[in-house]
Amino acid sequence: MFSCLPWSLPRLIFVPPVQALAEGFQVDWAPLMYMDTEDSKQLLNEVRRFARERIAGMAARPESPINADQLTLLTQEACELGILPLATADDGFSIWEHSNVAQAMSFNTGALRHIAYASPGVAFAWHRLALARFVCVQLGLAFETNVQQGMLLVPTGHYGLARNSLGKWLKAHALSAEDKDMLSDWLDRSVNATTIYAPKDWKSLVWPVWSDDQIAWRYVERKELDVSSGNAQHGFDELAGFAVRQPSTAGKAIKLDPDASRSTYASMFKLDVLGLLSIGAGALDRGQALARDYAGIRKQGGKVIAEHPAVQHMLSDIEIARHNVDMALAAFSQPVDELDVGTIAAARASLSPALCQAANQVVQVHGGIGYMRDAGPEKLVRDQNMLKLIAGGTREIHAFLAGWTGASV
Amino acid sequence: MNMHSHLEGHLPADHRLSPHWQFSNLPLIGRVLTDYPVNDLWETDFARLPRALAKQRRRARTFAEQHIMPAADELDLSAHLPAGECHPTAHRILCEAGKQGWLSYFMPAPLGSMPWGTVPHAPIWQCSLIVEEFSRACGGLMLLLSAHHLGAMPLLLSGSVNNLLRYLAPVYRSCERGEPHLIAFAITEPGAGSDVEEGHGAEIYRPGVVATPTEGGYVLNGRKCYISGGDLAKTATVFAALQGEGMDSWTCFYVDCSAPGYKVARTELKMGMRASGAAEIELTNVFVPTDRIIGGLRNGWVLNRATLNASRIPVASMGVGFARAATETAVEFARHYKVGGKALIHYQDVQLHLATMVAETRAIRSMVWQEAKAAWRPRQLNSSLCKFHATDRAQRVCEMAMDLLADHGGKHENRLEKIFRDVRLTRIFEGTNQINRLSMIEDWQAQLLDFNHSVGV
Repeated sequence: MFSCLPWSLPRLIFVPPVQALAEGFQVDWAPLMYMDTEDSKQLLNEVRRFARERIAGMAARPESPINADQLTLLTQEACELGILPLATADDGFSIWEHSNVAQAMSFNTGALRHIAYASPGVAFAWHRLALARFVCVQLGLAFETNVQQGMLLVPTGHYGLARNSLGKWLKAHALSAEDKDMLSDWLDRSVNATTIYAPKDWKSLVWPVWSDDQIAWRYVERKELDVSSGNAQHGFDELAGFAVRQPSTAGKAIKLDPDASRSTYASMFKLDVLGLLSIGAGALDRGQALARDYAGIRKQGGKVIAEHPAVQHMLSDIEIARHNVDMALAAFSQPVDELDVGTIAAARASLSPALCQAANQVVQVHGGIGYMRDAGPEKLVRDQNMLKLIAGGTREIHAFLAGWTGASV
Repeated sequence: MNMHSHLEGHLPADHRLSPHWQFSNLPLIGRVLTDYPVNDLWETDFARLPRALAKQRRRARTFAEQHIMPAADELDLSAHLPAGECHPTAHRILCEAGKQGWLSYFMPAPLGSMPWGTVPHAPIWQCSLIVEEFSRACGGLMLLLSAHHLGAMPLLLSGSVNNLLRYLAPVYRSCERGEPHLIAFAITEPGAGSDVEEGHGAEIYRPGVVATPTEGGYVLNGRKCYISGGDLAKTATVFAALQGEGMDSWTCFYVDCSAPGYKVARTELKMGMRASGAAEIELTNVFVPTDRIIGGLRNGWVLNRATLNASRIPVASMGVGFARAATETAVEFARHYKVGGKALIHYQDVQLHLATMVAETRAIRSMVWQEAKAAWRPRQLNSSLCKFHATDRAQRVCEMAMDLLADHGGKHENRLEKIFRDVRLTRIFEGTNQINRLSMIEDWQAQLLDFNHSVGV
């Protein structure tokens, strides 16, 4: 079915685990450490091909988003190809499976970007699925493929970023009683509903909770949760919105020692933000292509609109945003442990609004047709807005940074 | 207000250092100069309006809250209807709006429903007040009720009593009977959005809808697109070039939408304002009698631009309505949603955020009112400026509101995501905001090129 299967790639690096095991293949991860840019480029080309052929094919009509069955099918295919992780015990080179090698980080963000070019909603779903697996591995939780495929990661609490307190805790500043109360409230899963956007058929989730002055984690199956579905949300038409509460202490709690707790959350937090920025970058790439194409054919005042300074200005706004996000993602292609939480959060605070603005310029370049659901640009605006709003949003990053930098200590 | 209650970071009203409540203790002259009532902001502006306009504003708010707001979600979320079909809820609201005079307020009785008390004021001001109230409740229904006035504007601006008596008055009477007769304004063509709103582009554009003379009138051929309310309109002011001529021959034809050859080809799937259709109209040998030429042959371009000058201020007011709705929603969220045991409104950064939103909203309202108040003969420079700035800033306010709700901002139930989708259109229609900027400069040329005088701003 898939002529694009990456069998021609260096097998030691990118062998779909099921296939590898069937062939009795022994995966040696040592070469990963030496993987060069060219290897990464080849892998990304295959992801790109899959995204353009399979995902974009299903998402070709923006007004008819990928439905739940199609998303399930695509997810299975992505797992089989090794783009998405399988069981926690299996090794591969899927998204967020490796984060302590620069090339792997480059692959992670690049892959999400390619997928987002075809569908930001699908990219977001897969990002959180892969990140759930990352957290499970960190926590020592073992799940089979079928469980992993239906699992979500919820990275934050019910609203914002716990103001100063999360930043302080992550930086190991002393916490006041007020900070502890804030974090306890932020991660209280029983009182306030947590808003999540996910595939309709998700089965379980893993989310942080506050326990004994540390962030612990809880794995909970959907049937143990109080879940209510909402009306259609602003963007991510491929997904559904849910308000989720945990009525009891159901599920499996995993507590870590303070250092491990902090480092696990910090890694997850950084990868989540990088994922969101990568998805935003992919959506921007798509928008830029749409805007350029349209500006090159649409005429106004007797010439194509790309020749009008008003349009050139908007196209340049888009280019500037793309340049900035490119630079940021390149700078963040480092082992996750070497990345600074504050720097990444600050990047999100400045880049997310810029990505939204760029998407708006894509609509504006198109004029009236950009507002229509069958054209594509308006969906990119809605998806970029969603990327800005989720995971605590961007407004509280200032308070978060005050806590992180010690300004609020 | 409880004198002891206060937001965190602020003193209670009865504190010795809380200024407002001490003003009333000053001697008479001091009291007269300092002591002020603490009124609701909407009421404060209400009190500053001429009485008749204030009364219309309150009526519009009441109608919006009783009829428009409760239907907003249903119409936004309902399936896209085939072209020409009207959702029963929308139809009910149209009938009620007609009976209450919201489809006939550009002329006073006996021709229309404009209260005589508002006659001394620019009709655009009244329209802007109403549009703000309707927009606050639902962008789609606002557009359904307001695009009709855009369609009727060429009839009004043609300056022909005959047009008013023969065409507009019956439309108004029908609406007031509860039998809505909507008029659509049809300028945009598949090959020309900005070209029909900007002279420089129009000079080069080859017209897409052409009127060919025939016995007793003209036949129209071509396509119009993105016509707000064009799917439900009974008549339309259609702009067409005369056969073999350019845009300077544009002529306004008052077209009966049931005429043979007039077809609503489709309605667009829009991002927002979904209660109002944007129609693509196919005109195939549509006969229009000579007496339905509005404003005379080759006067269409002038009527078009005059209509846009009049309509861009109410479009700016849509921005005010959306910004207000977003701000009110954000304020309510901040008053009720608790983080760390207290409502968001107690946090200083939230207060700063809301203060900016309120200031932005009131700043654009002030600008709209200032321009609308003087809009007896709306100047292109002023109306274009008002439109692009108010709508740009309104979207920013909506974004700020969504940012405040963060994870909850994308949920439909919290209203903001719809408000954002609605406000987004205001930066595109009636000329994109880029075209409006150029339109402002176009109208400023005389001053800019007069080097004998400095330019006042």
